[in-house]
Amino acid sequence: MRIYVIAICLIAICILSAGGVGAQAPARREQLVYSLTAFDGASFSKSFCPPSEDTLYFIADNSSVIDARKTFIYFWPITRRYMAGFRSLDEKLPGTIEILKGGEVIQTLQRQTYTLFYPEGYWSDKATLYSDQEAERRFAEYQSAVEAFNRKLRDYYEEMRIYREEFNRFLEEMRIRRESGEEGITNIEMPQEPSPPDFVDFYASEPAQGFILNLPVGNYQIRLRCPDGRIYEGSEKNVVVFESRRTGGVGYEIIPGNRWTRRESVDDPSWIIHGAGHNVLYFNPYHQAEYNELYHNKLEDPQNSGRIERWKWVHIDPIDDVHMVLSRGEEILQQIERAPYFVKQIPGPELGYEIIPYDDELLQRGYQPTFESYQIELSTNLPPEEYTVSALQDGSAEHLPESERSIRLLRKENANYLYPIAFFPLVFGIVVILSRWTRIDR
Amino acid sequence: MSNRGGVVKTLFKRDFVYTFYSWGFYVVLFAAFMISSFILKNFLDGIREEDILVSAYPLNYPLFISVIVISIYLVMLSGVSISREREHGTLEVLFYGPVTAGNFLISKYFKDLCLGIIALAFCAVYFYLVSLTTNLGFTAGLVRALVMGVFMISCVVCFGLFISSLTGRTRSSVLVLLAILGGFLALQFVHAALIGMEREALSTPMLYLRETVSHLFRGINWVSPFAFLNRGLDAVVLDSPLLFGLNIFYAVVYSVIFLILSIISMSLKGVKA
Repeated sequence: MRIYVIAICLIAICILSAGGVGAQAPARREQLVYSLTAFDGASFSKSFCPPSEDTLYFIADNSSVIDARKTFIYFWPITRRYMAGFRSLDEKLPGTIEILKGGEVIQTLQRQTYTLFYPEGYWSDKATLYSDQEAERRFAEYQSAVEAFNRKLRDYYEEMRIYREEFNRFLEEMRIRRESGEEGITNIEMPQEPSPPDFVDFYASEPAQGFILNLPVGNYQIRLRCPDGRIYEGSEKNVVVFESRRTGGVGYEIIPGNRWTRRESVDDPSWIIHGAGHNVLYFNPYHQAEYNELYHNKLEDPQNSGRIERWKWVHIDPIDDVHMVLSRGEEILQQIERAPYFVKQIPGPELGYEIIPYDDELLQRGYQPTFESYQIELSTNLPPEEYTVSALQDGSAEHLPESERSIRLLRKENANYLYPIAFFPLVFGIVVILSRWTRIDR
Repeated sequence: MSNRGGVVKTLFKRDFVYTFYSWGFYVVLFAAFMISSFILKNFLDGIREEDILVSAYPLNYPLFISVIVISIYLVMLSGVSISREREHGTLEVLFYGPVTAGNFLISKYFKDLCLGIIALAFCAVYFYLVSLTTNLGFTAGLVRALVMGVFMISCVVCFGLFISSLTGRTRSSVLVLLAILGGFLALQFVHAALIGMEREALSTPMLYLRETVSHLFRGINWVSPFAFLNRGLDAVVLDSPLLFGLNIFYAVVYSVIFLILSIISMSLKGVKA
């Protein structure tokens, strides 16, 4: 009997403890990680490399930043990724980074001050890394621009306060005059509303410390050497420095007029746009470079996956100082300028929208353009042939390199004739064999 | 030397005329084009009315399939004819005369290559008609792919001749050829399908399978003749003359190596079944 009681107690303990395990927070371990600010072709991707990943990836001949830190690491089963608790512990590890190639130390890196400078604002895709004094100077420039903006903003609020008072006085004066029987146009000057100041159109991150890495293509190893000369355990990582396979071309993002939220990419010069029926397409050109999918995905985050056999195009910089041309052979059919467009939801039970040119009326009603693009209309009047779309630098007759893409308007209705075409070798064979038989018979 | 050339010419003419005036060649072309039409019909049906579809050279994939069907037919034909001639004793009779293993295999190779070039000319006509009918592009890329097809057929034929020179009987020759070429093709298609899937979309066993297939594919990458066409088509898509030229060079080297190996193998094995 006692044995049964003990067994039941043990089972109960097991069940309860199992339930407890399910509710537990993930186990955290204090470990060395490398925080990464890696140049991704256009901007900088921020991530960290947990101990589970043994290789770091960087683009050749461009500066990226790594830093060795001690933090809490835990595995998050939902995303199947390691997470870092930088808020709980974020300790910079002292020392120098050694870069090795073929077992030989080829560089020793010291921590440097750096800033990320976004010349087109924080939300733009383009950033430049500056180090040391230039980093301090860029950040100071940003700070003084922000201070100047704040001063202008204070002035604007004061001007707005004065404007409201003047406007109220204007309305009061108008009311008095109308009540006194005055009609028609009055000679009272209407106060003008002040315009708000434009926000700073660039951004510089607060200077930080890190090891700036800039290497040519190759395979390397890195490790952290402590100030006492020892190698920090777990700091050894492989480093793969790669370059783009193809660069200098133009890629396009296409917004199809009939499904503007589901965009298409026509990045590779060999890709052809096949169209059927009437289509309105909005083209957005980009400078681009082609990288190995695995390397680039791992550069963005070492825990990402990718396929070494695949390549991916990375949009580096939007192109907006060109005009686009739709042509058939040598004949230019349309020259298209970049223009703003507004997506207007169609009210009523039928869900839908309409893309219309953004105009002054929309501006006065306070609407912002939904997107800016180059609109190309493939009407049903165009004969089903091959067309070419390309980008030309403003004021130039030269096509941007690798900017041509083919558009083929298909004759879908002829698809059923494909099977009869397949019979032609049989017909040929009958003719050949019968003619031989005839010759032999003679 | 001229006598040797005359022997090759005679053997070549005999086999070439026999195949060119037989139904099999035209039926195989018809089958290859029916498969291509099926693929292209599905491609066209995949584009909705008033919509677009972005794709690289849509005619290249049907061409790839057509070249595979044609080259397998040619290699089976040669394989079977070698084994049959061995079984019937024709080979022994021929070898008592001025025919050697080299003459015999080189004539078979050129016969298959010429038939392959004729088949590719049929492909060019077929894809041109498809282009006229549907406006799918008969591009310079497709012409380059057709040129690459000649070298792929050369690789498959040489590989097939090598396998046929090793096997004795017709049945075993057919089975071994089908098994090896089918295995290469299956591995290539499975590999392409698996690497097309995102890692997150794969279950753990499928992930292991993908890794295994990847390793196997890397292993056969320079042995499988079909991998040469795959790389050649990649060079066409990349529009890289250097890669294109390199692939042609590799294909020629591959063909020469396997042709020499088949001659050595046949010389060692002898002409008796």
